[in-house]
Amino acid sequence: MELNANAFGRNARKALLDKKLQGALGRATERFQTHRDAAIAEFPEFEATRERASRIKRDVLDHLDTYLARFIEEAEKRGAIVHVARNAAQAREIAARIARDEGVTLAVKSKSMASEEISLNEALQGAGVTVVESDLGEYIVQLAGETPSHIIAPAVHKTREEISRLFERHLGEPRTDSIPELVGMARKHLRGKFLSAGMGVSGGNFLVADTGSVVPVTNEGNGRMGTVLPRVHLAVVGIEKVIPRMADLPTFLRLLPRSATGQAISSYVSIVTGTRRAGDPEGPDRMHILLLDCGRSAILEGKYREVLKCLRCGACLNTCPVYQSVGGHAYGWVYSGPIGAVLTPLLVGLPEAAALPDASTLCGACADVCPVKIPLPDFLLELRSDVREQGLKTPGEIAAMKGYARVMQRAGLLEAIERIAGVLGQFFSKGKGIGGLPYPFSGWTERRDFPAPAARPFRKQWKIKRGARG
Amino acid sequence: MNEREALFQHLSAACGGHGSPTGKPLPGAAPVAPESDRVALFAKTFAAAGGVLLRGTVEKALSDLGEHLRAEGVTALFFPEDDTAAREIAEALVPFGPFNLTTVADVRGGDAAGTAGFRTAEAAIAETGTIVETSAFGRTLLPGLMADVHVSIVPAASLVARMEEALASVTADPPRNISFLSGPSRTGDIEQTLTVGAHGPRKAIALLLG
Repeated sequence: MELNANAFGRNARKALLDKKLQGALGRATERFQTHRDAAIAEFPEFEATRERASRIKRDVLDHLDTYLARFIEEAEKRGAIVHVARNAAQAREIAARIARDEGVTLAVKSKSMASEEISLNEALQGAGVTVVESDLGEYIVQLAGETPSHIIAPAVHKTREEISRLFERHLGEPRTDSIPELVGMARKHLRGKFLSAGMGVSGGNFLVADTGSVVPVTNEGNGRMGTVLPRVHLAVVGIEKVIPRMADLPTFLRLLPRSATGQAISSYVSIVTGTRRAGDPEGPDRMHILLLDCGRSAILEGKYREVLKCLRCGACLNTCPVYQSVGGHAYGWVYSGPIGAVLTPLLVGLPEAAALPDASTLCGACADVCPVKIPLPDFLLELRSDVREQGLKTPGEIAAMKGYARVMQRAGLLEAIERIAGVLGQFFSKGKGIGGLPYPFSGWTERRDFPAPAARPFRKQWKIKRGARG
Repeated sequence: MNEREALFQHLSAACGGHGSPTGKPLPGAAPVAPESDRVALFAKTFAAAGGVLLRGTVEKALSDLGEHLRAEGVTALFFPEDDTAAREIAEALVPFGPFNLTTVADVRGGDAAGTAGFRTAEAAIAETGTIVETSAFGRTLLPGLMADVHVSIVPAASLVARMEEALASVTADPPRNISFLSGPSRTGDIEQTLTVGAHGPRKAIALLLG
């Protein structure tokens, strides 16, 4: 996917002015949150399971070399062909070569964030392959020529009217405002694709080291169809998705759907291992597993390694007040919300995404919901320091923060400023909020009034109250 | 040095000094539940996943089943050739509606519209309301994959309490495909409205026997 993360401010402003998107985002994130909270409330083992998952993932990261080697060994033993790509360009080259060597002209793809990182579709198209997204939301977004706006709900920004118009234009279907009819139309068209495609492309929520299995999880069943029907299966997965044992899988399956959609389990969990065995009536003759490094091993070396525990559930997006307001597109790349604000700079390089760590209020809600306990607010704060250290802040910002720090260190100076601000504020605002501040403060007053400084500062009031009491 | 070696060299450097990996999985709290509890829990979780559970006498179940299939517009029934329980139920069901019997081979090439697929589940999981189907011993997956309605035959003895138990038997040598099926195929991708039948079955029915 094309990278546009440093335009966060501009993208966010655009999103805030989009009334329709605002409505859809509000409804979607609230719905996901309500369902997630209810599912967690009904699951008393949540805390214990979360702790367990976090510990397993930490063990994986501490020994990723061992577990990944085991995964590759077991997968190859069962007929899979494993490829390793260090960067996106290599991954694209490998995927294109696989498609050409296998003689594939049509591929059905289920949702895979990792594949978005490397722009897999373009690579396959370059090799003469038509790629059809089979997740309904992704399919809609693909027909519209857009990009997904939410990990779990890619087409959350689209209304049924828009979708019906798309289906009319691209599939020749009659217009309807019935959602079941729209789903039926997509089902019919995509079923034909599943039956004729030479290759199914999937992601993988987990890689099981002790069996060499790839585990995609879906609600629609497209992941299952694409890994059973076509003669070639290509799984594109990040190296950090490995878990040690099949026996660990239930721990993660208890957390992922509850955190993502509030379900006790997703409709379909497929555990696929190698190629079809002799006598199997279905299953691919060839299975390729494309493992992506693409910046992950570099993250593993540093202080942010725990971000690699992420299950991609999307819970941190739904709970984030910034994401709720600006949506996924504003983050300018594959990952959005708090996890995107941390992961994107680490995967693409801080200079390319220096704006993202600021896309947070540091309220801590993301850490509260994370099913594998990633300390996202700590990482956001740490990344802000990195941005400063790498000289990526403007001189104005640095001067402002230095000035702020100096004032905060001197009680007398702070008090004097508060008093002056109080007098000026009351004079200019006449007791109401302040609107229309000049640049560079205009951002604060563009969309709402800035509250006028109190005539009597808090510290003053505190002193008086305490004096009266004592 | 190829890419794989380069990656592992990098990984080993990044992982170095963290001791040896945890040998055994951490034990999860998994009390063994009596069968009656498992059945009660499965009834609850399978319904929560959007499935329809049928129990009781075979006559009653057949009549209910026929009604469900007619309501979904099913006209043809299919089952794996070697699945005796599925065959018996499907054949007994023919008089309950205008149903024809068709074959897995016929379904394989077509779009499977208007079909109900019958299959005996390898296991069912009470914790999550899940039907487990695998490709072990050359079993077909088409009934739960392509049909409009999926009918799972679940012998009560195959009902386990937790996911771990269902996976334990397949870890040593997993078949190509192990599927956890929990309720119908669903999507919320259009206006956050839950809609069934995105790709797989619109209705998931489990027939609990014994």
